[in-house]
Amino acid sequence: MVNPVLLIAVPLGLSFTIPLFGLISRKIEKYVPVVALIFNLVISSILIPEVIKQPINVFIGGFQPPFCINLVVGPVGILFSALIALVGLLASIYALDYIREGAKQLYHMLYLLLLTGATGVVLTGDIFNLFVFFEILCISSYALVAYLGDKAGIESAVKYLIQGAMGSSLMLIGIGLLYGLFGTLNMADIASNIDTVSSISIFVPMVLLITGLGVEAAIFPLNAWLPDAHSSAPSSISAILSGIAIKVGIYAVARVVFTIFGASSILQFLAILGLLTLLIGEVSAFCQSNIKRLLAYSSIGQIGLVVFALGMGISYGVVGGLFQLISHALSKALLFFAVGYMIYRSGSMDISKLEGMGKQMPLTSFAFTIGAFSLVGLPPFIGFPSKFLIIRAALSKQELLFTILVAFVLLGTVIEGAYFFRVVQVLYFKGNHTDLQREEAPIPALIPIVILMVLIVAIGVYPKSLTRMLNSASSELLNRVAYIRSVLR
Amino acid sequence: MNFIHNYIYYIGAFGLVFIGIYIILVKRNLIKVIIGLSILDTGINLFLISIGYISKGTAPIFSKIDMENAPMVDPVPQALVLTAIVIGVAVLALALSLAIRLYHHYGTLNLRKIKEQRW
Repeated sequence: MVNPVLLIAVPLGLSFTIPLFGLISRKIEKYVPVVALIFNLVISSILIPEVIKQPINVFIGGFQPPFCINLVVGPVGILFSALIALVGLLASIYALDYIREGAKQLYHMLYLLLLTGATGVVLTGDIFNLFVFFEILCISSYALVAYLGDKAGIESAVKYLIQGAMGSSLMLIGIGLLYGLFGTLNMADIASNIDTVSSISIFVPMVLLITGLGVEAAIFPLNAWLPDAHSSAPSSISAILSGIAIKVGIYAVARVVFTIFGASSILQFLAILGLLTLLIGEVSAFCQSNIKRLLAYSSIGQIGLVVFALGMGISYGVVGGLFQLISHALSKALLFFAVGYMIYRSGSMDISKLEGMGKQMPLTSFAFTIGAFSLVGLPPFIGFPSKFLIIRAALSKQELLFTILVAFVLLGTVIEGAYFFRVVQVLYFKGNHTDLQREEAPIPALIPIVILMVLIVAIGVYPKSLTRMLNSASSELLNRVAYIRSVLR
Repeated sequence: MNFIHNYIYYIGAFGLVFIGIYIILVKRNLIKVIIGLSILDTGINLFLISIGYISKGTAPIFSKIDMENAPMVDPVPQALVLTAIVIGVAVLALALSLAIRLYHHYGTLNLRKIKEQRW
């Protein structure tokens, strides 16, 4: 059996050796993240069949839980770590050519650290450890948002940093209160003792934790940083922030709500909050003329849909939510990759400047179209089965509230369709610029774009390939007793 | 009086936390906001330490064989605070370096005047 600790240790170690590789030759340093993430992807895929049978627990320091820091590699953890490795690998291949200026060595180092933090968050079983990995993720993403060093980048990074630091401070207070109540930091141990104290004293740490994590997860009142940060970062980083960083925040919120607190009473509130996030994100995206801001707002909308699905608290809903997470990670990464070179070639983020791209950059425009259609939820792309599952789950609850909420979700999808079709129309049918000659994106950018297109269509045509994985992941999230038993024995 | 005597550390810690949050929310100068973040961090560290504190407790080190049965403070929060301080310093350093770059671009640190990005 492969030790899952390697999933964290190898990228962490390699990220700090990048300057050493840079001493040998400045040309090889950019291949280090690619190697590390191929390793992570391979290890994650090897572990998947084992983990579905039986979650793997890793104890550090030779103590049994709850006295040690432990890694819990359950179906949810391995699903997320495989997703992180996949999207991270594609973005690092994309960055081979895309990142040409600035402190390239530091870019690759911080990039690998960001993904290490993300992998750590989804695998750890200790709540303070979760905080530490979260901070690794956050600090490297603050720095990467400011990577270009232009006006917009620095300003968004400052906003992101102030809000993110506030969020993690609140989270730390919540962790302190939990430690004061239970005298332990192990998530399974806290979960098993949660019924022994009154619900009032649980409420404050729960609210603090959800608020703190909600900043990174971009749930509605806490997402003011997201459109700025996602639109001013380099496109490869925007893809990672949209595809990975928010997802990790959602994972942490789900873990806190479902596993630690087992709070079924708060779920309806979360569902409504998710719906608000969805509608606000989609309506704001509709008003944008800047293509990257449009994509950033659309990320807020999609995250709202995921929170709504998780808030249903039934197994269908959680499966739908996780499916939507995967579908959004792949589609949004594809969109940002495609848009990155369109902006590069046209020199502007304005949607109207993209006229005629369909003829000049046919493959990139085609990729954008596929990503957009997939996010809207057209068959045969991956967005269709995920949205279909969520709506079916909401209807199967047979509550008046959720039937009304689903109507609003469909309204959000219609708005989403409207603005994505508008962009596609600009790409293909507007303007007459035969005189402009723009090159197609280079090969290192086309490789991840083509891989993502193939994946989006393949999973969309055959969604059953993920069902087994998602079913066991949703049962891990919903069945906290099994989680506690598997850790504490 | 007894209440204050028992909970003085918590009162102090949360006092610092609220002062920090107030500064972050109200002040317009970026440097002051960063100072607010730092005060918030200090308050949280004090809070974590006071969770594990026992009055007249000693350090939890078993060095002497004939050690008497004295109460000891909880070492776990101290380890947490050590980590939290390191993270706080990293965030502070990054925030200050971003403030320098922001000043280069805009010539001011007044957050009300820096609003190129908006909804």
